[in-house]
Amino acid sequence: MLRYQENNQLHRDFHGTTNTTLDYIADNYGVDALKSILQDTGEKVYKSIHDKLAAGDASELLEHLNWFYFREGAKYQLTVEPDEIKLEVFECPAIRHLKKMGLPVSKHACLQTSEVNAGMCKNTQWESSVEVIGEGHCIQTFRKKEC
Amino acid sequence: MIPSDHFVRFYNEVFKFLDRNDGLEKYYLEISRHQEHHCLDLFSRKGIAGMREYWNVIAREENIISKSKKKGIVTNTKMISSDSHICPSLTKNLDNDAGVCEKYCLHCPGWVIPIFTKTGFYCVYDLINLLEPTCSMNVFAIREEAEEFKQQRIAGGADPALIYDNLDKADEIEANKIRLAPLRAQEAAKAEN
Repeated sequence: MLRYQENNQLHRDFHGTTNTTLDYIADNYGVDALKSILQDTGEKVYKSIHDKLAAGDASELLEHLNWFYFREGAKYQLTVEPDEIKLEVFECPAIRHLKKMGLPVSKHACLQTSEVNAGMCKNTQWESSVEVIGEGHCIQTFRKKEC
Repeated sequence: MIPSDHFVRFYNEVFKFLDRNDGLEKYYLEISRHQEHHCLDLFSRKGIAGMREYWNVIAREENIISKSKKKGIVTNTKMISSDSHICPSLTKNLDNDAGVCEKYCLHCPGWVIPIFTKTGFYCVYDLINLLEPTCSMNVFAIREEAEEFKQQRIAGGADPALIYDNLDKADEIEANKIRLAPLRAQEAAKAEN
């Protein structure tokens, strides 16, 4: 079950503020600082996902990926195997909305995915990776580490 | 992607980092510049009516809950007041496993007051209590009304340390009011036709 239930109206303009913030932190404090904030978000904000992964339970991660990409109107494909979860996002809803607003996409935009995912997996038996195929198109992988 | 539903919890982590690095004020100005994309033209052309238009959309999209059906965002041609709502943003961060940044609320006056200054309005923003999801944003076209409101608020027991305003920017506000007057007159004439 999702820790943060979200069923109300979406305010997609928040993607714009995220985009501005990614650039601001990277430009003023460095990319490592930005990665650290995003990883903290993954580990601490999504503590329940993190703690479940640490206990070997990927159920909330799956629900999170499925619900929020569906809710944001993404075209995506989620493939689940016992030791691997793959999410292919064909058109990132955040990037789509930035373009709709006429805002340039931050060159750090994909860090919000890769580093938050890494934070969720931190010190668990899972590891994550993100392969960017093209703008707005990526494959996110969560894989159980080999013992 | 950080879901737009969870942006405010990411924002909260950003504030914690910036607070540790003494960087909150500078960041608020960056966000203010970003928000100009949504507000500056609207407030410049339509003034209070533009603010009402903007916050009505925000109230719907950000799921702002009104405490009473009788109270909403109160406006007339000279002022706008929004003290009858439950803030969804702080509410989400009070329900956040990462814990709330105690300065979370400061970002609102931090970004919005510079826009009011640029569009020729006075703002008296009372945060009331940094850990309660209710605040009071009050915008005035007339300086004396803003000053009187602030004094009444303090006399009524408000904590002056939690009141943010731009009353010290009166010269800039009056200059912007004069600069924008022809544009607003044009807009009003368009609306009448």
